[in-house]
Amino acid sequence: MARIILKVPKAAVSMQEGTLVEWFVDDGDTVSVGQPLYSIETEKSALEIESPFAGTIKRIGLIGQTYQVGAPIAEITQ
Amino acid sequence: MTAAHPVHEQTDTTARAVSLMDDPDTCRRVFQTMTRIATTDGEIQKMLAAGELQFQYYPCGGQEAIPAAIEPLLRPDDHMVTTYRGIHDIVAKGTPVREIMAEISGRAAGTSKGKGGPMHLSDPNSGLMVTTGIVGAGLPIADGLGLAARLDGTDRVVVVSFGDGAANIGAFNESLNLASLWRLPVIFVCQNNQYAEYTSYADSTRSQTLAKRADGYEMPGVTVDGTDPAAVHAAAAEAVARARSGGGPTLLECVAYRLQGHSFGSDEGHMDQAELAAAREAAPLIAFRRRLIDHGVLSEDAAAAIETQARDEVADALDFARSSEPPGDDELYTDVFADTAHNPELTPGDRAAAQPDTPDTPDTPAGRPISYCQAVNEALDQALANDDRVILLGEDIADPAGGIVKATAGLSTKHGANRVRATPISEQAIVGSAIGASLAGFKPVAEIMVVDFTMVCMDQIANHAAKLRYMSGGRTGVGITIRTLCGGNVGSFGAQHSQSLEAWFAHTPGLKVVAPATPADAKGLLASCIDDPDPCIVIEAMRLYFGTDDVPEGDHRVPLGSAAVRREGRDVTIVSYSWPLAEALAAAEILAADGIDAEVIDLRSIVPLDKATVLASVAKTKRALVVHGAVEFCGFGAELATLIHTELHGELAAPVARYGGRYTPIPFTQGLEAKHFPDAAGIVARARALVQA
Repeated sequence: MARIILKVPKAAVSMQEGTLVEWFVDDGDTVSVGQPLYSIETEKSALEIESPFAGTIKRIGLIGQTYQVGAPIAEITQ
Repeated sequence: MTAAHPVHEQTDTTARAVSLMDDPDTCRRVFQTMTRIATTDGEIQKMLAAGELQFQYYPCGGQEAIPAAIEPLLRPDDHMVTTYRGIHDIVAKGTPVREIMAEISGRAAGTSKGKGGPMHLSDPNSGLMVTTGIVGAGLPIADGLGLAARLDGTDRVVVVSFGDGAANIGAFNESLNLASLWRLPVIFVCQNNQYAEYTSYADSTRSQTLAKRADGYEMPGVTVDGTDPAAVHAAAAEAVARARSGGGPTLLECVAYRLQGHSFGSDEGHMDQAELAAAREAAPLIAFRRRLIDHGVLSEDAAAAIETQARDEVADALDFARSSEPPGDDELYTDVFADTAHNPELTPGDRAAAQPDTPDTPDTPAGRPISYCQAVNEALDQALANDDRVILLGEDIADPAGGIVKATAGLSTKHGANRVRATPISEQAIVGSAIGASLAGFKPVAEIMVVDFTMVCMDQIANHAAKLRYMSGGRTGVGITIRTLCGGNVGSFGAQHSQSLEAWFAHTPGLKVVAPATPADAKGLLASCIDDPDPCIVIEAMRLYFGTDDVPEGDHRVPLGSAAVRREGRDVTIVSYSWPLAEALAAAEILAADGIDAEVIDLRSIVPLDKATVLASVAKTKRALVVHGAVEFCGFGAELATLIHTELHGELAAPVARYGGRYTPIPFTQGLEAKHFPDAAGIVARARALVQA
């Protein structure tokens, strides 16, 4: 079983941080590659981040909190 | 806005001699390459989504079929130039995925030691010569690689990839025209993915197809379905065969559809959503896989095995990248120049270096009086005679014109128009061709007629010639020489033919800059530049062009980064170069009559910079005046003044003075031009003020 920490991606040229707007999955959900996980709002726009991996999700990020690019946001156990 | 993209004329390739679908082995090879591309691209995007990698990434989804279908037609020694949306080209050309992953992760084991990054992968081993981050800039360089292939007498070909956006940039015109004119073995692969960043094809041009533009250059232009490997393969086979056999270039427009936004994470609101959905349904890899299975070329098991192999390869590459170290701090300065000691920031400027026992006044061997112009001609003539890798490129340089000031007169007659090549008025193509030829081992000397014209090719000079060594982690280098003329202070050229732009070049790490003031140096510095492994800008001076002085015969060299003390003195140091040196020497004689003993230094070379000679002189005289023809404000004098102030602070009898051109465009009328430029009287006044301070 591999555990992978998902971090806040740099999804735009100017993106330094983002505010977690919404989770589309619950703790313990089984997610597939490409499934929308969460929405994060940057100074430019709101971005929907899809799961890069399949596995069981554990949420780390809290709605309404602002996270730097690279901050842990979720964990996937494969 | 909806992308109302035009209906493209599809060339019928079904009747061509080369039919991919009749060749199962090649079909499987193309499928394998497409799979490796898609897996690499997909894993990179996973790493980005997971936040493990953080950079601006330009995915290739939708364009995988293009390089994969061209790849079986190429040999490892064929060259490729691609662009920042180029991971598919790079994987297809054979760059190891391990090195790709290490590079984009910023590791020392990457293609460029982690110093180039995802937009600047290069791997000469597999023929990937340049990946550029500048739209359209690869085309002129591809011309140069093609020129090298022709001059080498090989049947090597060059594939240059670019997008539909690049077809609307000036370098496209210059490069296709030159490639056609010289019948260069270049395949211009326009990957038309319907979007130039966020702007649709329809909003970028009225051209119904981009391939039609080839008609204007009298070269074949073909539009094919870039999502269909068979169509791409058939058209590319013709183009490659034409190039290999000496038939010249082809413009191959491969129409695909970008399956995502401009870059990873960027929005897709500018894309027609129905079109995008349809294009994703018909994604090239999915379609080709189904087609091969339907045709019985590939079994489901065989396809799955290829997919597993690709996943394993990329997983291994990621592990390799993760376990690799980033480059050490000492790599910051390496690969700027071939020899790190030439870096002006690292050149000793300390107090010890400022006090050598004697000033470094080089002995110029006795020669015979010839003009500055003849000296330039002699250096070129000898370089052409001594080294068959030396070639000349430039507007009007061939006989009978022999250059606008006859600097190259007689050279094409003596050494052949193949090596002394008159070009169209295409500065980007001239410099780009020189860069490309140098990447393939030549020593090109490009002439940009007047230094003011370098501004129309500064992208090639400053973004490519200057940076390719660094961006490739030292795996390539650009040993070109650019000769160019400063028309200042001769009373006839006005604002756009008279400037002194050395500070522009000196401000770009990776460029060497010299400005000879004497015929002997015009020969000796040029000879050194031609053999130098780094890009050198030689700024010649119109005002000096027809003055004569002793110039050594034979192979005369002046090392780069060596200033000359032209007149020794005790009271004040005047540092100059190029044509203002004569004003400084004249001023020194006037000052001598006043009892002021001026030392005059001819810098000769701006980069590398001989700090020691300057500092030794000023340590002695305690006073310094820097004189140049360039505008004083932000001129090179500011750098020299700071150097002297920093190193000799507390020992100076007066602050360093600067004297350059006024902050005006250069006026035409002679009375005003004379007021713009520094002269002997002005130097005398400033030197006196320093001594009296």
